[in-house]
Order: sequence, then C-alpha cells, then structure tokens
Amino acid sequence: MELGCHSGIKRWKERLPVTFALAGNPNVGKSSVFNWLTGMGVMTANYPGKTVEVNLATTHFRDQEIGVMDLPGTYALGSTSEDQWVARQALLDAQPDAILVIVDATNLERNLYLPLQLLDMGLPLVIALNLVDEALRNGLRIDHVRLAKFLGVPVVPTVAIRGQGLDRLVEMGLQAARVGLTRASTPRYGRDIEEALEELADLLVKEEVLLPWGLPPRAIAILLLEEDEEVLAWTRALPEGERILAKVREVASGIAERHGEPTPFRIARERHGLAGAIGAQVETRVSVPSKTQDRLWRLTTSPTTGFPLLALALAGLFAFLFYIGDFLSNVMSGLWGASLSPVIRFVIQLAFGQGIVSKTLLWGFDAGINAALSVGIPYVLTFYLILSVLEDTGYLNSVAFLTDPFMHKLGLHGRAAIPLVAGAGCNVPAIMGTRVLATMRERILASTLVCLMPCSARTAVIAGAVSKYVGWGPAVLIYVIVAGIGFLSGWGLNRILPGRSTGLVMEMFPFRVPSFPKMLRRTWYRFKDFLFVATPIVLIGSFILGLIYETGFLWVFTVPLQPVVEGWLGLPAVAGLTLIFAVLRKELALQLLVALAVAKYGSGVTDLLQFMDKGQIFTYALVNTLYIPCIATIAVLAKELGWRRALLISASTILLALLAGGIVHRLLIL
Amino acid sequence: MEKREKGERIPSMFLEVLEAIYRLEQEGASVSPARLGKRLGLGEAQTMERVLGLQGMGLVETLISGLVLLTAEGERIAVGLIRKHRLIERFLYDVLGLPWDQVHGEAHSLTPVVSDQVGDRLARFLEDPKTCPHGNPIPSTEGALHAEAAVPLHRLNQGKAGVILRIEKEEPALLKYLATLGLLPETKVEVEEVAPFGGPILIRVGGSRYALGRKVASKIFVKEA
Repeated sequence: MELGCHSGIKRWKERLPVTFALAGNPNVGKSSVFNWLTGMGVMTANYPGKTVEVNLATTHFRDQEIGVMDLPGTYALGSTSEDQWVARQALLDAQPDAILVIVDATNLERNLYLPLQLLDMGLPLVIALNLVDEALRNGLRIDHVRLAKFLGVPVVPTVAIRGQGLDRLVEMGLQAARVGLTRASTPRYGRDIEEALEELADLLVKEEVLLPWGLPPRAIAILLLEEDEEVLAWTRALPEGERILAKVREVASGIAERHGEPTPFRIARERHGLAGAIGAQVETRVSVPSKTQDRLWRLTTSPTTGFPLLALALAGLFAFLFYIGDFLSNVMSGLWGASLSPVIRFVIQLAFGQGIVSKTLLWGFDAGINAALSVGIPYVLTFYLILSVLEDTGYLNSVAFLTDPFMHKLGLHGRAAIPLVAGAGCNVPAIMGTRVLATMRERILASTLVCLMPCSARTAVIAGAVSKYVGWGPAVLIYVIVAGIGFLSGWGLNRILPGRSTGLVMEMFPFRVPSFPKMLRRTWYRFKDFLFVATPIVLIGSFILGLIYETGFLWVFTVPLQPVVEGWLGLPAVAGLTLIFAVLRKELALQLLVALAVAKYGSGVTDLLQFMDKGQIFTYALVNTLYIPCIATIAVLAKELGWRRALLISASTILLALLAGGIVHRLLIL
Repeated sequence: MEKREKGERIPSMFLEVLEAIYRLEQEGASVSPARLGKRLGLGEAQTMERVLGLQGMGLVETLISGLVLLTAEGERIAVGLIRKHRLIERFLYDVLGLPWDQVHGEAHSLTPVVSDQVGDRLARFLEDPKTCPHGNPIPSTEGALHAEAAVPLHRLNQGKAGVILRIEKEEPALLKYLATLGLLPETKVEVEEVAPFGGPILIRVGGSRYALGRKVASKIFVKEA
C-alpha cells in the first residue's frame, strides 16, 4: 500500500499512540531491526518528485501499539542528496516520539556522525549499538555504558540479525518517548561555534519567530550555519529574515576567518572530530584485528584476481541458475504430473464433461499451473536466492568496483552494476533500484539497460527452450548478442542524451558471512511479489489462450501477425501470438507455447521441436528476450521516469527485437 | 584551449581581482569582500561589483557568509596570470636589468596585456625559470602552483597514504557529501587499490573503505605522507 506525501505520514502518526523512526547509515542492519519489529503489513510513503521511499508499519509490544518508520539509510541528514532529504523530511513531518539510531559497532567513529547530527536537531534518541558480535570478532570491545554517558542518550547493544537486544531497544524507545530528552544532551563543539550558535539562537528567540517543524532555536541556528538550503529559504521568507541572515553572515565569516575554511565544513570537521574522540574513548582493542577483510578486498578488487573471480562468479551464477532451476523445474512438473494434475483433470471432466468449457478450464488449471511450475517459479526463485547471497556477502560491492570503468563508457558508474545484476532477476525491482543513481540522466540510461537485461523470466525461456532443445552454446550466444546490443545502446544513448555522468562515491561494505534465515526471508519477500502478481496473470493468459484455441479463433487472430512473424521472423504465426501474450509475463511466451504443445499432443508431450525447428526456437527466444520486458516493467518505468520515456523505451526495444530477430533469421537460413 | 580564450576575453580590472583572491587564498586567509577591497585599494561597493561580475562569468562563488571562493576555472586563470606576472618580472630583472624593487609594479601593469602564448615563449627564452626575482615559485603551464606538492588522489601509488590538501570546488554538492563522509582537508587517506582501465580507486579513511571514481579522485589533491 502506498501513502501520498507528507500529509500521509502525518495522518499515519496521528492515529498511533507511539511512533518510532529507524535511522542509520546504509548497511548497518537497519532493515533487520525493521523486519524483526514489524513483519507483515508494510506501507510505503512517497514524496512528490522523490523516488526514495519511507517504509511504515505497526508492531505490538506488550499490548502497546507502536508505529515504526524506516528511514532510508544515510550518512547524514543534509538537503543535498535525495535520500538524505527524504529521511530528514519524513522525520520532521512525522515528529516521531523517539528515533532509534542503528550504529555499526565495527565502524563506530563514522557511524556516530548521524546521531550527533540528530542530537543537534534536539531529537530524542535511543542508540542501538548493532553488530557488537562482529566488532568483538574483529577484536573491538565497546563500552556502551560510557558511550551512553558521553552522548547523554540510552545505548543498547544489539545483534539485530538474531533479534538480540531488540526487546530492550523497544523498551528504551518507549521510555524515551515517555520522558523525551532527559537532559540537554546536545553535542558541544569548539567555543567559537558554540558562541555563534548561542548568539543566533538568542536572536531567533528575541525576534519571536515561530520556528519550523517544532525544532529548538539551537537546531535552527546550526542548520543556518551549515548553510542548509531549506532553512535558509525559510529564513529568507520571514519578515525578520534579512536581520537574521545578516547575523548569520557575520558570525559565519568570523568562524571561517579564524579557521580558514567555510563554516559548514568547519562544523562537519568538528562533528567528525567529536565522533572520533567519543569513539576512541569507548573502544578497547582486545585483540589484533583480523586481516581477513583486507585479504578478501585485495582478492576481489585487485585486477589480477578480481576479474577472473568476477568471471567465475558470473559463470557460477548462470550455471547454478540453469542446473538448479532445471532440477527444480523437473521436480515440480514431475510432482504436478504425478499428483495434482490427474486429480484436477478428473474433477473438471467430471463437472463439465468433455466439451469446450472443460478443455478451456484444463488449459488454465492444468497446463497453466504446470507451465508456471516448470518455467517461471523455479528459475526466479533460484535467481533471487543467488542474488541475496551476492548482496549479503558484500560481493556486489566488488562487482561495482570492477565494472566502474566499463560503466563509464555507458555514461554510468559502478553503482549501476548492482541494479543491472538485479535486472537479471527481475527488471521491476532493478528499475526501482536505479534510484541509487543521482541524476535523471543516469537513471534513464540504467533503466534502458536494465530493460535489455535478460531477467530470470526471459532466462527461463532461454534455458527452457534454447538450451534444452538447441544446446547450451546457442543459449550463451543469445546472451552474447543481447550483451552486445545492450552495450551499443548504452554507448549510443550516452552520446545522444545531454549532460555528463557524475562520479562514483560508494562505501565498500565489509564482507560478511550471510545469515541463512535472513537470505531466505529476503528471497521470499521478493519471490512473493512475483508469485502473487505473476501466477494469476499466467492463469488468465492460459484461459484466454485456451478459449480462443478451443473455439478455433486462434488461427483467425494469427492472420494479421503473419507478415511480420512468418514473413520477417520466419516463425509460426502462433508463436507470434504467444510473444504478444508474453507482454503480461515474459516466461508466459514459453509456457503458452508448451501449453499449446500439451493441448495438441496430450499431457507429457512438451517437445517444442514438434512444431518449431532449432533455428526458429533460437530466433523466438532472442526476440522474446529483447522486446519490452513486460507490462509490470512498463508500469514501473512510467512511474519512475514518466510515461513518455517509458513508451519511448518500450517502442525502441520492440524495434530492436524485430530488427535483431529478422537479421538472425536471415543469417540462419544462409 | 578554451580556458585561454576565456582568459583573454576578461577585462583587466577583473583579472586583477582574480589574482588578488588567489593570492589571499594562498596566504591562507579567507577572502571577505572587505579584505579583498583593502588589498585592491578599492571601496567595498566597487569590490562587490567586480566580484559579482566574476561570479557572472562563473569564476568565483560567494558563500552565504559573504566569503569569496575561486571556482576551479577561476583558479586556473588566476594561476595563469601569476605565471605570466612572475615570468615578466624575471625578464625585466634578468634581461632588461630593471631594479629589483621596480619589477613588481611594472610587471603588474604588463601582465593583463601579455597573451599566454607570449608568456610561454618568454618562459622558453628564460629557460623555464623556477622562481621570480622575489623567490616565489613560477607555476608550470598546467597551472600547478602549490608550495606543497599536491597530487590528485588517483596518482598516489597503491599502498601509499596521503593527507588531503584541498578538494576542487567545482561541485558544491559533491563537496558537502564528501564532508559528511569525513573526506575533508587534513584527513589521512590510504590508497588500497587502483583499478586498471581508468577504473576507480579504493581508499581507506579511518575504519571505512570507499570506492571513488577517477573523476572524483582527480578533484581531491593530497600530499604524500
């Protein structure tokens, strides 16, 4: 479910007795906390024009209903980048009763920057010192009691992935919500900055301006000194604005003169300094840090070992996908054929006899489900499992690092590698994943490339048709052709689209041993959407196709397709029809084709070679791989980039597919 | 070549201001309009007018605090001016034999009218002198003028550490983002990996590792530690 902009968040907050916000740097286990606390029923809230979402959910803790808002993972709360802006705006709109800040105990100094900034804004915090187990394994013990004393807020050690300490975290959160900030626990900076803040805060009080978002005067003062664009805009609009800004200029130039750098950077420096000082005082090194991380980074990023490893990883990925997917596919369709399929056949034939109704229903309930079980589900499930392994171990970072120079040729940078790889699973989340890219230009480029990335549904068609009936060599060739077309399109688009690409700045997260339950959960979350959205479409598609087949209309519908499908692509016209149906779900193409085979030759016969030759299967899979991914992809493209761009991308992929298919057909005839 | 044409099209009264801002920055002072006016011998209104003119040309930026900063392009032009200025001083002193205490003033009035090309010829004629008669360094044609040898971060060898001296000011948003990650001047960074084919570099700052694209890394200047 989706909520509109900030009024949605406000309403959400109003109907709940207590609300928490979860804040933290990226990849510190924030989503583990969120999942552990909330489970099902997650809503998302959007700000107009922004693509980063805020997740909202409710939980019950000892009969207390609590709303939990999961902010995007950020390093700070400025107004420069989109994720930071959204996190801050959601925080200010919701004004949660307590903020649970998840900090990474293995990298305390950098992680303390965000809570210090939140304290500067005068917000009530509880700190979850997460990954304490990992820190200890790295030889780092953190005195959380001292940390709490330094920061003036409760600190709870946690291991979120196993739920350790989270009860206590919620308890402390509820307590913080009840009493608010116990004392003025705002950080203290250098004397001149503190004096400047005091001076500005006094002025704000004296001018009696109504401060925005219920923030205290010191918070506004520090945002002014940090040259926060929004607060500056708010000040400019005030009748007293000019007086306040004059004062800001005066004190800011004083600080800048004394330190020889602009005030915002001075404040950032002192905040980092403070974080470092606190970190140093609460950390004790109990053993020499392990060199494993360093070795792993070296191994995966240095060119001599990194590239072979990358090639190996990709080869392994696809091999796993094909073998495990194929295995699952056989098991599932075997089970189906042996157990439920005869029952359904019997029941339907008992109820409806042998007529058209019965046959049409069998198309859906027998052939349709069989197709979903043998083509879509096994490959998608397998891919999501592999993707979560890559993500959770941290290896995707190395992929981004290694692919950065190639991405630059396409006007992108290494961060785009992650959505592109995800695109091999499903284009829909991958296109949403392009939000990690900063500019619209990069997002258009990456989204177009994602559309050309064979998703698991298309891989299912390639695996289930080409590698099964033609051989694995031609199956690989399809990937090579598609990769070539993708590269050329990206390269060309990069020349056509105005603007330049930005650079890569990306944190390289430490390697971690993935948690199996977490991986399974993530795989399930992703797979669930696929299952519940895709399977009904497959069934409906099968019914419709069954109906027009049984009534004989199928051959009528294929007539207008003949010139293109038969004449240009050299495929049977009926295959063209399944390609059109495949716009619902890509794997539907093959499923329907298989269903046609089943309907024609009876259950058990799924041999495509009975009505297409090897060349035709190749062309068929290639065209299916290249043209617009599916309806869901078009919808998400439109949502993310606008309808005009979505239709433009879709139309150009159709043209590309027809062009490539026609050329391949002619080459094959030769 | 674009920067050269740009440099030539700028009226000399603006060039003078650019040079003064650059020198003040080099002296480690923050450049307020008042201080700049004092250096140029101009009133505050007049100084502001020129600063705004330069801002229109994209050569300087003014902060909310009123401080003036050179943009990367402004800095390039200013460095080019200083190069010519000091070469002319050298010429006036070495070749024409003008007194030491007069060359600065003479060079000052000559600099804006001497093209970069003439400047380069002058350098060749004088056999690429390293300093002006006052002992100040003469920047190279690439415009590198820093008493401390600053190299872009990606030029550091793998395994070497450096201290950030400055970050180019072209993209304020990037600068702010880097600041939140703790990449500020005087921060120590270690280069762990330099990817081939113009790929990114892997750096270590405190307990964190970051991948920086070449383009970003080339804007961060460090002194090898």
